[in-house]
Amino acid sequence: MLKLRIIPILTFNGFGLVKTKKFANPRMVGNPVQAARVYNSRGVDELVFLDITATEQNRKINLKLVSDVIKECYMPVAIGGNITSIEDINALLKIGADKVVIKTKALTDTDFIKQAVSFFGSQCITIAVDAYKSGNEYKIFNKIGLEIGLDEFIEKMELCKVGEFVLASVDNDGMMDGFDDELVRHVVSKVNVPVIAVGGGGNLIHYNELFAKTEIEAVGSASIFYFTQYTPLDIKEELRKINKPVRL
Amino acid sequence: MVAIIDYNMGNVASVQKALNFLNIPSVVTNNHKAISDSDFILLPGVGSFRQGMENLKRKELDKLLTDLVMGEKKSFLGICLGMQLIAKKGTEPEDCVGLDWVEGTIVKIEEQNLRVPHMGWNNIDIKKQRYFDNLQGKDFYFIHSYHFIPDNKDVIAATVEYGRELVAAVQKENIFATQFHPEKSQVAGLSLLKNYFDYVKA
Repeated sequence: MLKLRIIPILTFNGFGLVKTKKFANPRMVGNPVQAARVYNSRGVDELVFLDITATEQNRKINLKLVSDVIKECYMPVAIGGNITSIEDINALLKIGADKVVIKTKALTDTDFIKQAVSFFGSQCITIAVDAYKSGNEYKIFNKIGLEIGLDEFIEKMELCKVGEFVLASVDNDGMMDGFDDELVRHVVSKVNVPVIAVGGGGNLIHYNELFAKTEIEAVGSASIFYFTQYTPLDIKEELRKINKPVRL
Repeated sequence: MVAIIDYNMGNVASVQKALNFLNIPSVVTNNHKAISDSDFILLPGVGSFRQGMENLKRKELDKLLTDLVMGEKKSFLGICLGMQLIAKKGTEPEDCVGLDWVEGTIVKIEEQNLRVPHMGWNNIDIKKQRYFDNLQGKDFYFIHSYHFIPDNKDVIAATVEYGRELVAAVQKENIFATQFHPEKSQVAGLSLLKNYFDYVKA
């Protein structure tokens, strides 16, 4: 039986790991290579590493650093941060990335996403969907002044045959007071590819509630691992108590 | 020496890292002589079937590997796309001919209410014990949208449940191949690689 995935998310700003609240106020939380080493020793299911300021600072991701992070990992790793070309993807795969996470380029260049899928296969291309609530609907958060609805964006990406979505709730990011179940349920029922839900986990009950109330199969988190004593294993042990399939 | 075949289909770094961890000497190469001189052949890979075959053919690796594996009976380990390419026929994105070492077809996973790709950790059901002794766990990392349907079920070494029973590993004479990624499956995967190389080296 396929297990639920509990995935630490490392967000990087070019200098160190940072943790944001509602996608703002980044707080320094550590060193990416050390963090990767700890998560590997804890046997986590997967790791996501995102350079969240590469696009706005108009720089490329630091391949040497990413390579050092991946060297620590004997589990799958997804990497994101200003990925705009086939060469960018190739460079990351060559140093051992399993998946790439694309955001801004996906908002502006659907043809590139199609091309990336045909080159590397669906399973390699993950799309970051950062959603915030605006009135009664969800929109995609971005820093390029683009107005685009959640549904419109994920429909476009599904047509490109992408392999996975990392679905982040901007409103719940870093708040540690629970996931946006409504957002998760909506997206999971709409798409046929795996989805990683991100944003809001602060205690073990939040995770049990998320997996009990939605059909989600993977969750990504950061704050709970930085600011509480809980580890990914604690989350899984709690999920097992409500008979959810996890890898222990 | 293990020749990890470099045909620009991703993921070679992770495979070599796992072998380094196990102190198994390897070289990432597409050089015909280096491959011929190696003791074992490892074909990794992710991406589409057709692209994989095109890349092998461009360097005339298809003929070389067939000579070494089917002719000289060199030990062969295939991973993910490297397992699928040994089939007679692929269908991604349309019908195409594979290396044709094991009779069978690669088809899309198409089941109602199932997310595709099949992505994440799933436990395998072992059908042929040979390489699966002393495993540290039975959950392995899968990431694929297509699966192997062999003509002869006797080649199935392990299966995995996803909607229905899918082939997780095949074994036929000197050929062993896994749909999952042992190099990405932490201690379970490393223990499988160790078992495999301990067995074929003996």
